[in-house]
Amino acid sequence: MRKQRAPRVGSRINNLRTGWQKRNIHRKQKAAERLPGNSLRNSPPNRRTTLRAGLAVFGGRAAGALSRRLHLGGGTSITGLVAQKVYPDIVGHLATQLEFGSVVVTGTNGKTTTSAFISAILSDAGLRVWRNREGSNLMGGIASSLVMRALPNGLLRRAGQAMTIFEVDEAVVPQVVETVSPRVAVFTNLFRDQLDRYGEVDSVAALWQQAVSNLSIDTILVLNADDPATANLGELFAGRVLYFGIDDPALDLTKQQGTSERHQVSDTRTCPRCGGDYTYDMRFFSHMGHYRCTSCGHERPQPDVRVVKAKTDDFDRLRIGISSSVLPATQPREIVIPLPGIYNVYNALAAATAAQALGIGWEPIVTGIEQFKPIFGRGERIQVEGRTLRLLFSEEGTARHVLFVLNNNIADGRDVSWIWDVDFERTVGQTATLVAAGSRALDLALRLKYAGVSQEEMIIVPPAPLRATKRDRILNNHNKRAMKNSNTSDTVVTETIKRIPGTKRAGRYGIAEALDAAVNLTPVGETLFVVPTYTGLLEIHGELERRGLTPHYWEDRDS
Amino acid sequence: MTQNMTPPLTLTLGHLYPDQLNLYGDRGNILVLRRRCQQRGIELRVVGLGIGDALAPDEYDMLFIGGGQDKEEIPVAQDLHDIKGIGLWAAIEDDMPVLAVCGGYQLLAQYYRPASGSDIRGLGVFDAWTIHKGARVPRCIGDIAISWNGSTLVGFENHGGRTYLGTARPLGKVLKGHGNNSEDTTEGAIYRNTYGTYMHGSLLPKNPHFADHLIGLALRRKYDIWATPDTGTTGERTNGTTSTDGDTLASLTPLDDTLEWEAHTSLLEKLGLHNQAVATWQAHNAVKVS
Repeated sequence: MRKQRAPRVGSRINNLRTGWQKRNIHRKQKAAERLPGNSLRNSPPNRRTTLRAGLAVFGGRAAGALSRRLHLGGGTSITGLVAQKVYPDIVGHLATQLEFGSVVVTGTNGKTTTSAFISAILSDAGLRVWRNREGSNLMGGIASSLVMRALPNGLLRRAGQAMTIFEVDEAVVPQVVETVSPRVAVFTNLFRDQLDRYGEVDSVAALWQQAVSNLSIDTILVLNADDPATANLGELFAGRVLYFGIDDPALDLTKQQGTSERHQVSDTRTCPRCGGDYTYDMRFFSHMGHYRCTSCGHERPQPDVRVVKAKTDDFDRLRIGISSSVLPATQPREIVIPLPGIYNVYNALAAATAAQALGIGWEPIVTGIEQFKPIFGRGERIQVEGRTLRLLFSEEGTARHVLFVLNNNIADGRDVSWIWDVDFERTVGQTATLVAAGSRALDLALRLKYAGVSQEEMIIVPPAPLRATKRDRILNNHNKRAMKNSNTSDTVVTETIKRIPGTKRAGRYGIAEALDAAVNLTPVGETLFVVPTYTGLLEIHGELERRGLTPHYWEDRDS
Repeated sequence: MTQNMTPPLTLTLGHLYPDQLNLYGDRGNILVLRRRCQQRGIELRVVGLGIGDALAPDEYDMLFIGGGQDKEEIPVAQDLHDIKGIGLWAAIEDDMPVLAVCGGYQLLAQYYRPASGSDIRGLGVFDAWTIHKGARVPRCIGDIAISWNGSTLVGFENHGGRTYLGTARPLGKVLKGHGNNSEDTTEGAIYRNTYGTYMHGSLLPKNPHFADHLIGLALRRKYDIWATPDTGTTGERTNGTTSTDGDTLASLTPLDDTLEWEAHTSLLEKLGLHNQAVATWQAHNAVKVS
């Protein structure tokens, strides 16, 4: 107990050593030397704060348990919120006890997948790993994930002293890195879809710059070289920076003819140094690529860990060749990523770089990524009220109950014409449940209709009602009142309201109602297949998280 | 029903260059034409016409040409000129309905001038020409709505070339989007019953009135008792499913197009065209509620 309370640098290194000794022995000394992370700011917590922390842990966990008992929700964030009320610095207090330190992962896209990859790699390196729950990436959720591992004496359980991966919302990064002082901080990318939430991209960039200035100099910064706003953070940091990026000209969108992505408006940024415009020698995905400022010559930094070759292996797998200047020179390693899409090349690359920053060698990186069980994507199974829910990227012939989510955001491709090239005709008659949702639900419903699915056989759930039907809806409500006055039975009344005027179907809108409809139509014991586009997948995943229905990695691995 | 008094109706659609010009899901147009015929007891046969195949105008009632990439347009243009040109011209002059989308549209005009390389000669059906102004000029990409025949057409466009009309009549006026060249608010071109357009999406699923217009044209051309949907007198019949020209002229059986019009209206709303959205919805909603 005393050892835990006053961890010294020496004991920390010893612990690291025991965790890693089975794998890379001689690289360890060097790695450990530059790893100390938060050790310098550790001081033994005094009795008072320990008592207070204990109280916070007790209060938080009691509140969480109560909330779960009363079915008020998963009880995840309430635990942290109550604990923080009792002891505002509970996160800092508990984080200093993390003997192996922590890794912080943030960015607009790919946080969850990157964290999961890192977690898989660290596990394969023989380390015990903890992750905060997906979706609880604000301060409260991070507090919860720590408090739930703590004892009422204000100390972490031994099992809780694992290497911790914090997936952090981009807006709270400055606070988090200051409180937990991570060994490695990973910034994946910065996309404009943050506009809706935080006003503008630049405000997030400013927060990140603040976060970097809050970082301890011992922290190793892992940055995406191909994303201008992210890579630029490296220039503000005095400590060690590792960049990752793609160097495969075959992935260059500007050279690929006819792909819809080629025509996507790139999320171009201006040079932070001189305000000039960036041009791209290569562009891989949205604004990711080899950029350079036309006026001052500021350009993409050379990546330390880079993908030299990437190709689609199967429709849901990628094969990449990865080389690194961090580890002793070898041939590029080949890794099969069990996920599709170039954004997953970046996610795997970010994870590999973070692992190398922690001094981990190739073997666990390769096996960790290859054995990775997708958090979502093909094959994920989630239990929902007695039904199994599977998330897929593309359809399978055997699916009897299917929820399609067709979005046309930039990441999905604006053009949905491709659905007319998909052979939906094959699925006709094989499915019992068909729900079409997403921003282009109506397009998909039309496609299914012309494939031979009658409108009675499918449920269409667009994001919002047509504004053009507003007048009719008002009229309908008027009718409803009239019917109420004439003592019509309630069931008929609700039937009437729910119908979309001029159509035969009920008005259901939004991803939550789509999921409800699909789950309810799937008989208990059977499997519902969810087939989303990329952002549709994120929406479904977010919705499942809100309902506490996502499989949680750290629970799987540590319980 | 008219089928009672006529022998089974059959139409043959010639799909030009299905293997070369097939880029943007334009297959949806054919699926829609086939199904809308089928639901009315009309058999629609689809015949693919690849490079090297002759086009005998007597064997077809409708023609469709899709879009492709620049590099694919060169052999197609050659074939169009050397092999199918005469047959296609004969069909067009004989009022056969022809739908040409994107690359197909460009090839039916006078010429296509790529960003680099020499001009690709077109068939000259439309007095129009297309110029690709190079990679520095942004492509015309996005959802598009145009006015057509008292109603609207909606789709998705994605083209680098800018088309300028000479004496050719435009298909419609751009309400939102780029159209032919994003300068003069024209979109597409018409010559006799030949329609050229940049609209993908696919075009016909969300524009059932245009699909029926083409089917009506083909039926009237083949079986003279059939009316074209829009030779009528009033501008209200935007759904193209009714005709009151006379007792001797049959009309296409109206189908339940609620979903089509909902998708059409939804896209108008996404483009901010709320007046047109309300007008479209009410026009077609009124037909449905009885």
